[in-house]
Amino acid sequence: MKRKNLEKNSYTYMLLGLMAVTLLFFTILKGNLMWKGDVWLGMAMQFPEYGVITLGLMFCFICGKMDMSFMALGDFATIMAVRYMSAHADGASQVGVILVGILIALCIATVGGVINGLLVAGLDIPPVMATISMQLVWTGLSVALTNGNSVKGLPALYTEIGHKYLFGFLPVPLLIFLVVFLVCMFLLQHTVYGEKLYMVGTNIKAAQFSAVNTRRMVIGTYVLCDVICCIGCLIMISTMAGAKADYGTSYVMRCILILVLAGVLPNGGMGKIGNVLIAIVTIQIIATGVNMFSNLNTYYASLIWGALLLIVLIMSTRMGSGGFPFRLRAAKQGSGKA
Amino acid sequence: MLLMTGIDKRFGGVHALDHVNFAVRPGKVMCLAGENGCGKSTLVKIISGVYTRDEGEILFEGQPIHRITPADATRLGIQVIYQDLSIFPNLTVMENLAINSEITANRRIVNRKRWEQTAREALSKIGYEIDLYAKMGDLSVADKQLVAICRALLFNAKLIIMDEPTTALTKKEVDALFKTVRQLRDSGIAIMFISHKMEEIFEISDDVCIMRNGKNVYSGPTSELTKKDFTYYMTGRELVDNYFVPTNISKEPVLKVEHLTWKEKYHDVSFDLRKGEILGITGLLGSGRTELALSLFGLGKVDSGTILMNGKPVKITSPIAAQKLRIGYVPEDRLTEGLCLQQPIADNIMLASLKQLTRTLGTIRHDEVFEKSNEWVKTFSIATDDAHKHASTLSGGNQQKIVLAKWLNNDLDVLILNGPTVGVDIGAKQDIHALVHDLANNGLAVIIISDDLAEVVVNCSRVVVMKDGAIVGEMTGDEITEENILEVIR
Amino acid sequence: MDKAKLKRMTRRTEFYMFLVLILLAVIVQIKSGGRLITFPGIFTRLNTTVLRTMVVDGMFAMCCLVVMISGGFDLSFPAVAALSYSLATTICLNNGWCQTSPLAGLLLAAAIGWVLGMLNGWIIANFKLNTMIVTLGTQTFFTGVSMGLLALKEITSTLPEGMKAFGKAFLLESADPATGIRFTLSAMVIFLVLLCAIVSFILNKTMFGRALYAIGGNEVSAERAGYNVKRTKFLLYSSVGAVAGFIGMIRTCMESQSIPKAMVGREMTIIPAVILGGASIYGGEGTVFGTVVAVAIISLVSNSMLILGIDTYWQQFFNGLVILVGITVSALQARRKH
Repeated sequence: MKRKNLEKNSYTYMLLGLMAVTLLFFTILKGNLMWKGDVWLGMAMQFPEYGVITLGLMFCFICGKMDMSFMALGDFATIMAVRYMSAHADGASQVGVILVGILIALCIATVGGVINGLLVAGLDIPPVMATISMQLVWTGLSVALTNGNSVKGLPALYTEIGHKYLFGFLPVPLLIFLVVFLVCMFLLQHTVYGEKLYMVGTNIKAAQFSAVNTRRMVIGTYVLCDVICCIGCLIMISTMAGAKADYGTSYVMRCILILVLAGVLPNGGMGKIGNVLIAIVTIQIIATGVNMFSNLNTYYASLIWGALLLIVLIMSTRMGSGGFPFRLRAAKQGSGKA
Repeated sequence: MLLMTGIDKRFGGVHALDHVNFAVRPGKVMCLAGENGCGKSTLVKIISGVYTRDEGEILFEGQPIHRITPADATRLGIQVIYQDLSIFPNLTVMENLAINSEITANRRIVNRKRWEQTAREALSKIGYEIDLYAKMGDLSVADKQLVAICRALLFNAKLIIMDEPTTALTKKEVDALFKTVRQLRDSGIAIMFISHKMEEIFEISDDVCIMRNGKNVYSGPTSELTKKDFTYYMTGRELVDNYFVPTNISKEPVLKVEHLTWKEKYHDVSFDLRKGEILGITGLLGSGRTELALSLFGLGKVDSGTILMNGKPVKITSPIAAQKLRIGYVPEDRLTEGLCLQQPIADNIMLASLKQLTRTLGTIRHDEVFEKSNEWVKTFSIATDDAHKHASTLSGGNQQKIVLAKWLNNDLDVLILNGPTVGVDIGAKQDIHALVHDLANNGLAVIIISDDLAEVVVNCSRVVVMKDGAIVGEMTGDEITEENILEVIR
Repeated sequence: MDKAKLKRMTRRTEFYMFLVLILLAVIVQIKSGGRLITFPGIFTRLNTTVLRTMVVDGMFAMCCLVVMISGGFDLSFPAVAALSYSLATTICLNNGWCQTSPLAGLLLAAAIGWVLGMLNGWIIANFKLNTMIVTLGTQTFFTGVSMGLLALKEITSTLPEGMKAFGKAFLLESADPATGIRFTLSAMVIFLVLLCAIVSFILNKTMFGRALYAIGGNEVSAERAGYNVKRTKFLLYSSVGAVAGFIGMIRTCMESQSIPKAMVGREMTIIPAVILGGASIYGGEGTVFGTVVAVAIISLVSNSMLILGIDTYWQQFFNGLVILVGITVSALQARRKH
């Protein structure tokens, strides 16, 4: 029994090992600097925004669908929210304005999710194609409405969220991330939705033949994905103190990278939320570690991320089947064609 | 022509081929028969050079062959037509015909004229005509198969191996294929025909070689074999046909179908179904039998006509609606429609009835899923030690039991089984049949859709025969015999 | 032309795309008061900008097309191009090359691209991994190399003279009759025409090209038919890398500046254009003609905004809309077929 568990979780152990190796690497190079409280607090401030976005995208991946539009949509939604908030920033009730602003963003994200879902589940357009074009549409709208400039003028209270420590030690973004993480974990592991999601992701046709409402599942998953991504973007505008049509663009690839590293593949039906958390933290450790070298620019992190992904991919093909899901499944591709 | 003696092959601990002997004579059709997983395809792969043998001798045209690669096999004149036909759906017929020989000739530049010439030459070998510029993917399976045969003939094939060529063909197409096969045979080409369908084997073959569990249990001329012996060799036991005896048929029909029509697929279909009976719907592939079932399950269209459940007209627009009306459907293709292979057995069993286990806020407890499905694992004696294992770890028969359990876990009035024992080994087949009999006698109305006539005859208390989208015959009781069905089916 | 051929032609997507292009051109011509094509002076600001956009996008689209035909998905070509041209330009600048002729720069960029492409090809051919995920990894990695490890700088005014002059070279010149300003047809158009011709020749007239279609159609069959799939894939990705580097350098010359960041996210506009042109993301489908037409439509739409009285900021939105509509229509068509 024990051995079986070991095998089952081998990928988790490998990811943990990877995290330990990166930590060790930076500890050796930078000594105690890595272990200062400030460094970890800094990390806790940074990763929640893309961490939350990654968690959203995870649902799409488990469902076997791709979403390329989530950041463009998030940027658009937050632009609208910032516009509203800045227009009413002088009013008496800041809290009310902020809440309405958030609500606007989430509503737009919901609409965007429904459109994605309808294109994919309703019109049978391949997800990559549908969401790439939606990405162009949303970015286009954002650019058109802002002339490509950033929108500023958020209420002071709102910008504080992104920089504030609760009780002096708990960063607010981290708190939001933890809440979202727990909700996602609950959804995946303890609800009928999560149960069905893995089945739909594995074989959508079999799920349909088992009286699962697959269309509703797909649309719902896109909505969930886009709404959670939008929450991430709402944290982002708070730290950036404004919204812009291309603020989130660089996050698209980073989120996909994290998910793939965590073994959540767009083929669907696989992946554990715990692994995603480990991958997020590992990626952040690398970014922070690179930042500690004054002579290195931030793009070194991207170098390491890319190399890491490639090495993990190649290693996975060498280590046989146990828990490594990266191999191209020809059968699955073939059936997608019909 | 091809003589194989003492071929032995092991994969790890599995003894895939156990000293197999057989011979193919030129100008004859040799059938390689056997249930699924008996080692047929391993044998083919050894001949074509994909696998190497551990022991044994192969003589081709009197010459011993020691090591062989796929390219060598082609050079020697051995051509394999795989079940998936190895075609390129996105290319034209012409390209599909010519591409292999162009590659073999190591050409670099495409010469349309030469390609067209090659393609025409290939078609002329069996006098087959088709638009050379049609896209391969748009052709029917039968046409694709003929193209694949033509392509094989381009290499001056002396031995053509056809791997289960008839699975996706209608009866008419099978006849056309057999005509071509005989034509090839008469021109002196040896043909190795792989199949597990008895009627076909008796119709086409001169010699037959039957395999079971990696051994060949019979080889010799087909004419010396009776059908009864054949079944015995195939399955390894005397089959006792366990006929279904209905004991509990209700007066009122639970399901009544009146003048149901799906314009492109079938028209004016009417029948009724009572609790406790097993209704067989049979017909050739493309006769509309599967489409009819899909309409009853909410996945097919209904253009006109009515469906009555317990006397009330109903509209079935989706599988969810069907489930609410207590209709269950076990689909034809277990792998693509029935199972999520890379997910646990337990989750597969419970997929259609998660509502039962749903608690407040849509939550679910995984140990309950596990417990409940373990009950089914026990009742159906599904061969697994742990329901957490993936469904892909099971054999065909056990997988089919999962799909059955998935629906039986719902409270059903009507259960539609489409090809319930396709690709299932003989032991599991009997288990499944016995199970269905019990279900019917406990008050379930069952529809079995199958083109396996023996299965229909043994299990059904009433049979409806479909042809070209219409019902052409209905039989009950003693009228149900293979001969009677065959008479109306073609 | 015989009837069967005509019938076959009208069944193709490219045919309708071409009709759409002509229709669009006529609309633009009328709405702009005859600015698209004029007589006797042929060139106007409008048509030269359309062509300039087409040159770079069209050439990249060719790279993308061949990969898609083989059933792959390349996200890395902009990163390959960026690393190639910025590194090549830096080397040329440091050594004082390319003062008179850009040849050294072009060859150098192509060589660098070739090496990078080989990495892609090696991983994809040898490990049978999902191409999208691999190229995502290499894209991140290459970006890290160019901007992190090598820290390549932007080169604008100091760009070697030979490159600048090359980028300004023109074939024909004529004056706009309305304003008298002279406009030129950039010599780079030759490269587009040449590349299209070469790709078209390779795809249709060589066994290598047919191998790409065959592999995209059914990889297992291609292997059984006797193609060396591994070698073909390696050759494909390495040559695409070389071509991407070359195109990147041409772009540098045309823009008279080398900016490492300039290509980021470019794949997101070029891949949709290729899909719009009739290439299938499942592989095995796609033509040079269709791709060129799609690129032409997009550059026509985006460049005639101003003349049609639409704010240029709406350009991206309309691009997205055109692609969305195109993809939806072809998806509906495919659905009706089944």
